[in-house]
Amino acid sequence: MIDSFYFWRNILSIAAGTIIIRGSLIALANRIRISERTKELFSFIPSAILPAFIAPAVFFHEGKVSWLFEKERLAVLILATAFCYFVRSTFWTIAFGLTALYLLTNLN
Amino acid sequence: MINSVFKRGFVATLPIMPGVIPFGAVMGVVCSEAKLSLFQTVAMNFLAYAGAAQLAAMELMTKHAAGLVVIATALIINLRFLLYSAALSPHLQRSSFFTKFFSAYSVTDQSYAVVSANQSQLTTSPDVVRFYLGTAVCMAMFWHLSVIAGFVFGNFAPASLALDYAVPLSFVALVIPTLKNKTYVVVAAFSSVVAVLLHPLPFRIGLIATALLSISVAAMLTRKRAKS
Repeated sequence: MIDSFYFWRNILSIAAGTIIIRGSLIALANRIRISERTKELFSFIPSAILPAFIAPAVFFHEGKVSWLFEKERLAVLILATAFCYFVRSTFWTIAFGLTALYLLTNLN
Repeated sequence: MINSVFKRGFVATLPIMPGVIPFGAVMGVVCSEAKLSLFQTVAMNFLAYAGAAQLAAMELMTKHAAGLVVIATALIINLRFLLYSAALSPHLQRSSFFTKFFSAYSVTDQSYAVVSANQSQLTTSPDVVRFYLGTAVCMAMFWHLSVIAGFVFGNFAPASLALDYAVPLSFVALVIPTLKNKTYVVVAAFSSVVAVLLHPLPFRIGLIATALLSISVAAMLTRKRAKS
């Protein structure tokens, strides 16, 4: 059971801190001039951070299929990446990946 | 009448919902198991609106960790939002206060990633903002509904479907279109390796450290071009 005062104090502090993190640069948007060079570096944000979500979630997950050294998620990820490169569809990449993982883990 | 670019943003976000709904449901289940009320659960999700940070905070609060540790952990996890809002801010320069506030409040990994993946089709800043608002509304709607569903019905997704895997898959689908040339591919590969190496660090510091190191690599790789 979480104490009510303890809960609200923490959540309100997190909410306040998070809106400052999220909003400070947007609030200052009119006052700061962002150079072309900085904008170029901003374009690297997705390739800098999204793989940092993907790699550990897949690499450290213990799967069920022994012949892939319990790394069927890693194998499916490689296949899904290749699939996405050609198909360029979010929906079909997810559908392909989930189906491939289901087949690998359940039909063995 | 709803703007068509807003609608496009909303629709472009729908395919990644198989990754968002189970995550929201888990959040709802965690809140229900921690004996929070439905009001506390909904209020927390509206106030903080940051899934990963909330899960970490809930984990710490159920173990009665010091308040400062709970708050600092959540805020460190949320530091990555600074990068996203930095990238969005040039497009919001001429927007109203309300649009700026809602845009800032609704910055998430998914909404930012969907905009990045579609940026080449958005020619003006107002279009980027409208598209972003469409993704943000879609995200918020599905997130809150799935949290409530998780709270009320428990974890409803069958384990054999491994829907948690939809999260990394959706990020794959969102990062691929942003890899415009070899430099972006090198940065993404670097980020993957460093993220795995830094994963054992506490409070998910590895995530923000990986992002900063990868952007530094991008800065180094593009320095020559910028000078010439």
